[in-house]
Amino acid sequence: MANYIIRRLLLVPVLLIGVTLIIFGMLQLLGPVERSALYVTDFPKNEKQIEGVIKKYGLDDPFFVQYWRWLTGVKDPLTGEREGGILFGDFGYSRTASQDVIDIIKTRFPNTLDLALWTIFPMISVGIWLGVKAAVNQNKFIDQIARVYSIVGTSLPVFVFGLLLLMLLYANNQWFLPGKMSDWVSRLIYSGEFKQYTHLLSVDALLNLRFDIFWDAMRHMIMPIITLSYINWATFLRVTRSSMLETLRMDYVTTARSKGLEERDVINKHARPNAMLPVVTMMGSSIVGLLGGVVITETVFNYPGIGKAAADAASQLDAVTILGLAIFTGLILIISNLVVDVLYAFIDPRVRLS
Amino acid sequence: MTNRLLDVKGLETHFNTPEGIVHAVNGVSFTLDEGETLGIVGESGCGKSVTMLSCLRLVPMPPGKIVAGQANYKDRDLLAISEDEIRKVRGAHIGMIFQDPMTSLNPVMTIGKQLTEPLILHLGLTEKQARNRSIELLGIVGIPRASDRLKDYPHQYSGGMRQRVMIAMALACMPDILIADEPTTALDVTIQAQIVELVIQLREELGMSIVWITHDLGVVASIANRVAVMYAGFIIEEAPVKKLYAGPSHPYTVGLLNSLPQIQVQEKKRLYSINGMPPTLYKIPHACPFAPRCPWVIERCWSENPLLFPIGDSHKVACWVDIKTGRER
Repeated sequence: MANYIIRRLLLVPVLLIGVTLIIFGMLQLLGPVERSALYVTDFPKNEKQIEGVIKKYGLDDPFFVQYWRWLTGVKDPLTGEREGGILFGDFGYSRTASQDVIDIIKTRFPNTLDLALWTIFPMISVGIWLGVKAAVNQNKFIDQIARVYSIVGTSLPVFVFGLLLLMLLYANNQWFLPGKMSDWVSRLIYSGEFKQYTHLLSVDALLNLRFDIFWDAMRHMIMPIITLSYINWATFLRVTRSSMLETLRMDYVTTARSKGLEERDVINKHARPNAMLPVVTMMGSSIVGLLGGVVITETVFNYPGIGKAAADAASQLDAVTILGLAIFTGLILIISNLVVDVLYAFIDPRVRLS
Repeated sequence: MTNRLLDVKGLETHFNTPEGIVHAVNGVSFTLDEGETLGIVGESGCGKSVTMLSCLRLVPMPPGKIVAGQANYKDRDLLAISEDEIRKVRGAHIGMIFQDPMTSLNPVMTIGKQLTEPLILHLGLTEKQARNRSIELLGIVGIPRASDRLKDYPHQYSGGMRQRVMIAMALACMPDILIADEPTTALDVTIQAQIVELVIQLREELGMSIVWITHDLGVVASIANRVAVMYAGFIIEEAPVKKLYAGPSHPYTVGLLNSLPQIQVQEKKRLYSINGMPPTLYKIPHACPFAPRCPWVIERCWSENPLLFPIGDSHKVACWVDIKTGRER
């Protein structure tokens, strides 16, 4: 097991180099003149000025020279201060948001995480539970309902469903609200009276025992949570159901029954652990989706997470920000794949021991 | 008279498929006495496995359905008792091993866990007692270093070893009956012989009755006392093993025995095979199901399906023709 995890960990730097190479390479598809636009704020007065920018930032240097500079930054020859370098956490400066990209991540990611936290656990537990129930009662009433739901859930687009929710729960009676928090909460945070332990608003509210703030956070999050849940439940339900149906036909399930086990144990102890293997694989990509920013959902509900930041940056052609966020998402992908691999080994001895 | 353990009467099992109802088992009756080994022989899809799975109600339902019949184990009808009661019979009184040892063990559970399950469930042993008993059982079926191998997973065992584990599991609670559903089919020939030998040895030691399902006539000859030959969901001949091999009385049995390859090869003789294909099972046959392939077929075969009737001491056959004379019985 430890051996297996170490091998996976050794792969992480390799993957990181791959991710950064690809993302940086995509930017290099633009010519030096086009990329010089990232550094000028005003219309250039003459062509010389552009050439100056290209020369100053070395935009026509060989690919790997630029890549290395991008990774490690540039040392100022006079002051010795380092500027740039994503290895040192400097993802560049976002001109559209007027702050460092790393600060965008620092302020926005906790919001995305807050939302993901309240989505992932119900998503995994309810989705799997429904899938197992449907498979065990194949072709019965609960299975029919589950199948209809899984088709509707996977085919109804988020922006339609989200708008429906806004119309029903916000536009008419303002039971639930878009955005992140009410003004009085943000004033409270700004004043410093409210201690931020984790920067996840709902969790901090609970830690401060401020249930009024917790309720306010929930009022703002409930619509995106419902939106994200209904899709993810449907996907989890579908995958769990089909995997479970397949497992229930396996010989070892008959063996378990022939030993005289109760049906409940046959399903929970023998069939379900085997049926979980494809579900765990999907769990990884679902969680990456939720953490890497749910662009449409956050935009529809005006929720200030990382997905909304990416959408804002993209709509204003802010390449530096997009680049930074893309690398951040790549990082999340690599980490969660690692977690999934370990989980996989944990449930499947064939992976763990071979 | 010996004790009758299992008495199956008129068993009928159907499968509902999109193409129609498959009549897999069509009124099968047989008995099994204490200490006896019954071989059930037939080609793939003739209903031999479904017959035995039906007795324990292990046929997947739906699509399967046991339409009629009784399966009396001692004095209880296994087809009529409650789900809870039959669970107490499975594993405890009737154990079962299956065809493919590669797929019949749970891949994500240790051998030890799978082996102790029935012991804890039926015999009420503690975890520790069950563990000790499991080590004994693995020793009995011939797995070396048993105590080390309990924490291993099925994929760390070879095919033959897994079948040994299956046997240990089926016999864990000392059942009266062992149902072996083609247990050697998926194994190498040398391993097959070892497994057959192991079961014979265990039968001597433990004295259980065995129902051995197979399409291998050679294996049946070495292990069974009595043989039932199945075709298209019917038992078409039943006899003590020596009688069956010496004087097969159903044309199908004759065909099967003639299809066996001989070691002493005669000059330029092709291996015999029965003409035609077994029938599909979508319709209830009103004629003898073997009639289209039968060299002895007479008029009556096309209008009436013969039932199993005795033709001698414990020898039964379902055929209108006496194949020795070629005339109707």
